[in-house]
Amino acid sequence: MSVRFVKSQREQEGRFEDVWVLVDEDDELETWPADAELSLVGQPATRADGAQRATGAATYTVDVRLAGMLHAEVLRSPVARGRVTSIDLEAARAVPGVRVVIGPDGPFAMSGDPVLTAEPEYAGAPLAALAADTMAAALAGIEALALSIEALPPQVDVEAGLADQRFTEDPSEDERGDVDAAFADAEVTIELTCETPRHVQTPLEPHAAVARWDGDELTAWVSTQGMFDGRAELARRFGLSTDKVRVISEFIGGGFGAKQGAGAEALLAAELAKAARRPVRLVNGRHAEQLVGGRRAGTRQTVKLGARRDGTIVAVESAAVIDMGRGGMVFPVNEPALTLYAVPNVRAMAFPVKTSLRPQNASRAPGVVEGTAVFEQAIDELAAALELDPLELRRLNHVDRDQRSDLPYSGKQLLICYDRAAELAGWADRERLREPHADGLLRGMGCATQIWWGGGGPPAHAAIRLDRKGHALVTTGIQDIGTGTLTGARIVAAEELGLPLDHVVVRGGDTGPNLYGPVSGGSMTTPAVLPAVRSAAGKVRRTLLALASDVLEIAAEDLTLRDGRIRSLDGAIDVDLVEVTDKLGNATIDGSGARGPNPDGFRINTFGCQIATVAIDPGLGLVRVERVVAVHDVGRIVNPLTASSQVEGGVLQGIGFALSEELLVDPTTGVPVNAHLDDYKVPTIADAPEIVVAFANVPDENLPNLGAKGLGEPPIIPTAAAIANAFAHATGRRPSGFPLTAARVLEALA
Amino acid sequence: MLEVNGQRHTLDVAPDRRLLEVLRDELELTGTKQGCAEGACGACAVLVDGMPMVSCLLPVAAVAGRPVTTIEGISHDGPTELQEAFVTEDALQCGFCTPGQIVTATALLTSSPTPRRAEIRSAMAGNICRCGAYPKIERAILRASGQAVE
Repeated sequence: MSVRFVKSQREQEGRFEDVWVLVDEDDELETWPADAELSLVGQPATRADGAQRATGAATYTVDVRLAGMLHAEVLRSPVARGRVTSIDLEAARAVPGVRVVIGPDGPFAMSGDPVLTAEPEYAGAPLAALAADTMAAALAGIEALALSIEALPPQVDVEAGLADQRFTEDPSEDERGDVDAAFADAEVTIELTCETPRHVQTPLEPHAAVARWDGDELTAWVSTQGMFDGRAELARRFGLSTDKVRVISEFIGGGFGAKQGAGAEALLAAELAKAARRPVRLVNGRHAEQLVGGRRAGTRQTVKLGARRDGTIVAVESAAVIDMGRGGMVFPVNEPALTLYAVPNVRAMAFPVKTSLRPQNASRAPGVVEGTAVFEQAIDELAAALELDPLELRRLNHVDRDQRSDLPYSGKQLLICYDRAAELAGWADRERLREPHADGLLRGMGCATQIWWGGGGPPAHAAIRLDRKGHALVTTGIQDIGTGTLTGARIVAAEELGLPLDHVVVRGGDTGPNLYGPVSGGSMTTPAVLPAVRSAAGKVRRTLLALASDVLEIAAEDLTLRDGRIRSLDGAIDVDLVEVTDKLGNATIDGSGARGPNPDGFRINTFGCQIATVAIDPGLGLVRVERVVAVHDVGRIVNPLTASSQVEGGVLQGIGFALSEELLVDPTTGVPVNAHLDDYKVPTIADAPEIVVAFANVPDENLPNLGAKGLGEPPIIPTAAAIANAFAHATGRRPSGFPLTAARVLEALA
Repeated sequence: MLEVNGQRHTLDVAPDRRLLEVLRDELELTGTKQGCAEGACGACAVLVDGMPMVSCLLPVAAVAGRPVTTIEGISHDGPTELQEAFVTEDALQCGFCTPGQIVTATALLTSSPTPRRAEIRSAMAGNICRCGAYPKIERAILRASGQAVE
């Protein structure tokens, strides 16, 4: 039970950094082997908070109501680029009910990095904010600001930006081997160009925050995926130590990457609340959310592949032009080109073009969704050119090492995924789909492969307290954005403690206990936090057995704990654990755990294969996904019920990306024209195909104590390419880009 | 005069205030959610005279004297079979759209106690679930109506 500092490598979505972490592992715990007899881990369990969510009792940030709370509203830029010529802050302050107004300049300007600006660079950029007694007064205050703004020419055209070398940062080039020579020697080459859409995360609960000051202490309810990042951001902004800031994120109405840290909403709410000396609530309206909540960047990608006749890929070149907006992180669009198959010679280029949109931000599997959507179509084109089965080509070029670091994968069950997906989809009979159908629709089947990270790592902490009734309270730093990780933590704690599920309560969603957990992103919550939970539980279990040894007068090593009962190995003792815990009185058994480091010498990734069946109406240009088989390798599955939900949701968002979702921008004004839910088309239940979910479910024995990896992102990654490949199988054509609108489909079929 | 969940309220609000705002801000019934305030997502669905309606588009005056049932009213005596089926089938993820889904599905099961799949997909098509719980929402409704779930 040694607590120690180690220098460890921290990975988030493929970015690595070296950090010192405190490790507090239960050294006696070993990773459960694949054939371990487990009672709860691996069995379906309903969500611990399901009833709260189903009855409307769950309190989301938008539902928080505090005494004396004011309502905030934000004045946003109506133009894509401009210069404020006047804002009448005094007139807004004079509106009855308006308490505080802050603008981009003057004594009420915000401290630190500007949140408010007088020179907006995208439509929706915040210019001023105010707080009032009622929403109606707040809206009247916004009117009274009488904004006057000079519109400047927006930067909309990505190709023009590329020609002008207008980048948010320098273009990048990753290269290995001798690409030009390899293409010159290749027996077959193909090239494919495809566009991917600006894809809006669209959480149904918009970004929202409520802030309350008590003296110099700040409490903020924030709809965020990263409450600890939010705490750090708020502390920095207001010059506070982190123990003066508490962030509460108990129920979050979706995030999908868009809700990072405090966000402008919490910063503004806290600023307004400080000035007003009253609690303040700020909630994005739907239009604002679609404009400024975030976006997966649109791209245009060209992929060139060279291969030998036998199907061996010898060269890859990938170039991605990315519509970044004003900036943001350049996500790894070229990751599939660099790592998906064994290729000695690769050149991958990214051109991040600056345009007049909100900066790109994270969006479920950022970069890799759009990269896979194009690269995996190129693989199918190559299969067609080689007259090879597309799955066979993928198997032929399988790789068990990460080719960038030259390290082996800690575990990779992709070949199992291919076999299982092919079997579940009826891949062998797929040519029969191309025979004429009575309904006049064209049908086809296509596959695509997935790679993502998802190993998690330190730091992540947990604490467990067992009481006299034998009930365990697990405290974690998890914010459950809908993934069910709190329920996963409950399962792992109950398994290790030998308790029934309903004797375990898991808490998260609050930085108050100061038990750190990572952001709910990068598919890392389960693999980061659940091992910490198991370590804490292991310690509590051992202490309990030591106490049982005192009570039962038998050596602790001769006792087991399972199903809420303490038994001796010889079978002579079989008692309810309450017989021991009851003697605790008001004392408790406590244990802490912190995630240990990942093993050196490996890369930890997740893999999968999806196979889609589509039907196309060649007259109307309509595409319907009829069936998706999704088989993923994410190590051990802790809870198959919530895991299948994650996969179904990822597939459905992938279908939205592939068929209907695209933020459209007016080429003249640079203002998005469909930033609403009635014209930005997310899938409905009527669009949902049959989705068949399966997992390799092989524990990754190189991962500490659990062998589980993350699942949030993998299922959205291969869906679009599988659909496009099915389209090509059915029609012999490829649309010029996603989404596969009727216009693009008819153009492709013409 | 507004009748919500069997209780009568006399409120001093503008007749054109949206029912959703009155429910959430005046009556503090926050189970009904605002997803878009544009009538496009169904998160704010309530029952008016037993019919599902989007409360974000309804002026409060339009429901004067008509019984309104919210998710709190549906849950008044504990979770219904439908709500239990949503939990059993995991027909919810973040849960933000769930009250609206439950309201719409409750109305469906009243008018059609054993709906066919096509009927479910048609009746529920106005309720967006961004997490994509749709396959399990379908299963939950089948389960709650006593039909086989595969």
